[in-house]
Amino acid sequence: MVLAACAAPPAIPPGPPGRVVSLAPSVTEIVYALGVGDRLVGVCAQCDEPAAASLPRVGGYLAPSVEATLALRPALVIVVPSPGNREAVRAIERAGVRVLVVQDRTLNDLWASIRDVSAALGVEPAGATLAAELQHRLDDVHARIAGRPRPRVLAVVGHRPLVAVGPGTLQDDLIAIAGGENVMADAGGPWPALSLEVVVARAPDVIVDASMGTEAGLHELFDHLETIPAVRAGRVVRLADADAFLRAGPRVPTAAAALASLFHPSVPATAAMTPATS
Amino acid sequence: MTGRHVTAGRLARTAGVLAVALAVSIAAAVAIGPVHVSLTQALARADSPDYAILFRTRLPRVLLAGVVGGSLASAGAALQALLGNPLACPHLLGISGGAAVAGVFALIAGADPVSPLVPLAAFGGALGAIAIVGLGSRAGGRTTPHAVLLVGVVFNALAAAALMLLNAIVSYTQAQGVLFWIMGSLSTQSYALIAGVTAYSLVGIAWLMTRTHELNLLAAGEEGALQLGVDVERTRRTVFVAASLLVGAAVSVSGMIGFVGLIVPHLLRLALGPDHRIVVPASFLGGAAFLVWADTLARTALAPVELPVGVVTALAGGPFFLFLLRRHLRRAVR
Repeated sequence: MVLAACAAPPAIPPGPPGRVVSLAPSVTEIVYALGVGDRLVGVCAQCDEPAAASLPRVGGYLAPSVEATLALRPALVIVVPSPGNREAVRAIERAGVRVLVVQDRTLNDLWASIRDVSAALGVEPAGATLAAELQHRLDDVHARIAGRPRPRVLAVVGHRPLVAVGPGTLQDDLIAIAGGENVMADAGGPWPALSLEVVVARAPDVIVDASMGTEAGLHELFDHLETIPAVRAGRVVRLADADAFLRAGPRVPTAAAALASLFHPSVPATAAMTPATS
Repeated sequence: MTGRHVTAGRLARTAGVLAVALAVSIAAAVAIGPVHVSLTQALARADSPDYAILFRTRLPRVLLAGVVGGSLASAGAALQALLGNPLACPHLLGISGGAAVAGVFALIAGADPVSPLVPLAAFGGALGAIAIVGLGSRAGGRTTPHAVLLVGVVFNALAAAALMLLNAIVSYTQAQGVLFWIMGSLSTQSYALIAGVTAYSLVGIAWLMTRTHELNLLAAGEEGALQLGVDVERTRRTVFVAASLLVGAAVSVSGMIGFVGLIVPHLLRLALGPDHRIVVPASFLGGAAFLVWADTLARTALAPVELPVGVVTALAGGPFFLFLLRRHLRRAVR
């Protein structure tokens, strides 16, 4: 590593980078959705995009390995910032590799990362098309439920401690698009830890579980609190594809559609609400 | 023996005062919360949200805080006397760490954080840690406090490393569950689980109470205790296992909540003197009240968001403890 840092930075070849390493699951999905998945030479351990199954892993999303990344001789490394990967990303940069940092907190971050990733890979038109398609599908989900009464929704991402979706998150955006009202919209931060009694007091109509917990745990947590409308009506549900909901990637319309059918079971799903086959 | 008699009277008075303080604390803590509730509404209708909040979410949590706080503090008081070390606390001996590692393993194996399997595994981990530390520090049929401390510290470091390792290899969302064990947290548990934890704690404290006289003699020196006919080895074993039972029960449901086992016994010694026949039961009641209040602060300070209770015990308890200690030291110099 010291030697690599001392060596002159490799000359950047003209044209779009051909060897790319993605250090986040959402980024890997975006690269494939842009149609340039064949440029990837390495991904993170949590990158579960099926098309990337055979690619080498360069360590965890939160703690990538600098050496494993550099060994793949990437021309571009794309990362989502976290406290755990800051030093590793700096070391990769010091070794002369171009690093693109994209955010993944909100829906606007998703549009920005599609734009930046497609620009870095020289496929801006594909980026514009992808963003337009995703936006169209989200608009379509929203149009289906427009004007309907919005159920009060609590989205849970952890059981113990009980952690919910707060304001300023992609997940809060998706709840709104799917026609729900987030009962924790006034929490001070994006991922509030809650006392159970706050759930009773906020009386959500639907409780959506996107945590790693089990079905049994979910019922253990809420079933004895029948005063919560969601419990009384049997609307405490696990999200089948929690990753689509939790990642700022190209599957967000799928998550929005799944939420919309939970929030508004009487509205029939349409072709546009199911994932497009590309 | 008038000495005994006086102690019994003092014990009854001290325990009475602290029990009343604890009862008042519990009542107050149930009345205070992030959500405003009406007691009349709650008592009038069992199907009202007010009832659910008071009796299904808040009361169990307050009771749990009491049991956990009492267990940690009384175990701390006994361990400090047993090992002759003012810094002795459940953490130092790796008991909490062993419980946390086993709890995290259960999570990774697929148990839900809410399921009773996790505290059960953690309790097993605490007992395993006790066996390792207890057997590991025995040589020639004898256990010295010195060896127990050293083996405990090493085991604790191992447990901490194992937690870091697990934290590094699990998924991002599972890492949240690991953090729960490291930071410690109280959340609403079922009454059945609380009853189980309470049963273990009561056995532990009752067992400890049978050895407080020997603890006094031991604290004055092993030599003297031997001359007075104390079976030192047997006392050590009993106290160690009883304290571990208390800690195991507490950690299995709350993770590693720091400071309670360290500062509460010291505070009570400053207030009540060094007699363990009084300090040990007083620590149980005082520790219970302390954690009930700390958790009330954790639940309400930033409502509707809650803080990890370990943060509150450290931030509130640490400076107060230093203040009392400084005052005590200044008086001692004068």
